[in-house]
Amino acid sequence: MDEYALGVLTNIGLFSFLALSAYLLLVAGEMSFGQQAFFGVGAYAAGIGTAMWGLPLPVACVVAMALGAAAAWLVGLPTLRLRGLYFAMATLAAAEMFRILFELFHYQRTIDGEPVGPDGTQGFRGIRWVLERGIEQETYLAIVLTVLAAVLVVFAVLERTRLGATVRMVGEDPELAAVLGVNVDRVKLAVAAAAGALAALGGALYAHHNTYIEPRNFDIMLGVHSLAYALIGGLGTAFGPLLGVALDIGLLESTRVFRGYRMIVFGGLVAALLIWRPRGLLDETVVNRIARALRRGSA
Amino acid sequence: MLVDLIQNTLDGLMLGSAYALLALGFTLIFGVLRRANLAYGPAIMLGAYAATWVSLRFHAGFLVLALVTIAGAMLAGAYVERLCFAPHGARQSRSGDAAAIAAMVGSFALWMQLEELATLWLPKHLYSFPPLYDGPPLALGPFTLRVEYLAMLACAAAAGFGLHRLLYRTRFGLAVRAVVDHVDAARLVGINVPRVFMLVFALASALGGLAGYLIVAAHEQVTPMLGMWSTLKGMIAMMLGGLGSLPGAVVGGLALGLIEAHSQWLAGPQYRDLIAYLVLFALLALRPSGLWALARRRPEPAAA
Repeated sequence: MDEYALGVLTNIGLFSFLALSAYLLLVAGEMSFGQQAFFGVGAYAAGIGTAMWGLPLPVACVVAMALGAAAAWLVGLPTLRLRGLYFAMATLAAAEMFRILFELFHYQRTIDGEPVGPDGTQGFRGIRWVLERGIEQETYLAIVLTVLAAVLVVFAVLERTRLGATVRMVGEDPELAAVLGVNVDRVKLAVAAAAGALAALGGALYAHHNTYIEPRNFDIMLGVHSLAYALIGGLGTAFGPLLGVALDIGLLESTRVFRGYRMIVFGGLVAALLIWRPRGLLDETVVNRIARALRRGSA
Repeated sequence: MLVDLIQNTLDGLMLGSAYALLALGFTLIFGVLRRANLAYGPAIMLGAYAATWVSLRFHAGFLVLALVTIAGAMLAGAYVERLCFAPHGARQSRSGDAAAIAAMVGSFALWMQLEELATLWLPKHLYSFPPLYDGPPLALGPFTLRVEYLAMLACAAAAGFGLHRLLYRTRFGLAVRAVVDHVDAARLVGINVPRVFMLVFALASALGGLAGYLIVAAHEQVTPMLGMWSTLKGMIAMMLGGLGSLPGAVVGGLALGLIEAHSQWLAGPQYRDLIAYLVLFALLALRPSGLWALARRRPEPAAA
């Protein structure tokens, strides 16, 4: 496989984490403009972990997820009672605060005669754990896809449990859920924390793929893109966000047919698609129909 | 010290009047359609790019440039309305949140599209734009006032007043308020609801175009950042003042300008943005109904 294709595939995998994070909140009925902040928290935390403290990548990923969950919990605590555009704007404000804090964040340590660490707007260079271990690009892609597959398995299992049903109910009708004895606030806060951890995991893997991160990577554009990925792919299944990412990064960037016009094509496509399918390609109806067909096929 | 304080307050009010103009257009769309139009700023940007092109080609005067900006923003706005807002049936309670999110994400997709279109048309990172007024700033004792910003303040005041007259003194305004109060009842008494939505959208786009012209003429330059800048500042000002309230949009715009001018002077540009976002976050968390409702001490329910 050539390097370009590898890069495209790895990026599809990495941004899928962020799209899944947005998807999780959408399923719980909240639209966030701010998941990129936790992606950034994860990237910075894991980068500091491996490049400055000498932690192995898996440990750094766990630390990053814990920090991402904590940050999302903190943002969610005062904002999750807000709905619609109020919540979206509050998360946007929070995410922009995180981005500016990354710009103000200077923490460096001299390693092998070179300063390493976040240097404000200059970014954070030399997150080389993967290179130093001699891990090939193919192997790293395999790692990313394996972690992603594991996340999807968790999603698939949860969708079948009572917890998954509860989250969907909270998303569709919070009043009804509350009447039925669901603690809506607690469910939403837990979902927000989980979504934060998921975004942070993606960010951690992203930092180690790029070896260089800067505050600009985590701006509002990234956040709204991930929201759009989740929505065009569909809100019926966790495969929806993946489809959204694959459509944008995979189909449009890798074919290079629409070079220079990519956003004109993609933008029009998305707007037209949303007229036809306002809850995405793989919405609940389609997913149910497929599930029924599969069941009939196996019976 | 006191001189600086007053000068910063003046600067903040001037800057804030630009934000207020942007927020008025946003509020008009959100107040009537209950939809957030993310492509609002990029439509303005397209208008400003059209005016820049006209200025480069024909060295046109300020009136022509203003009209071209407004016309461009309205044209782009009409495209956004047809593709993202007309099909998703605004203000329906039954389709609810899903349609609102679809319309908003659709408008984001068109944001990307309009922005790429503008930068393909004029690909440089920066174009200079003719100023509204060439002379030196007005001096009032120790204070200085730029004429462009005075024009902006005047336009914001006129737009706020004019909108109020339009909504409360005309038949069209009555139709708009009927739609806002109860869309089904409005339809039953024979109001052409999609037409009201379309006209409101056109009006908001024209306001945005006017704001866009005044802003680029004051900055004397056009960059590809204009679209995102307009959308963000307009939305922040709208949320600060209180979602869906026209006086709130003006109050929110001026407040944002004041916050930015003072915090920039006290702490520099990075902290300026940080403080502005912090105020927005705190206000949304504590008093989501915004500054205007807070000032009138009438708590409004935060329903979206």
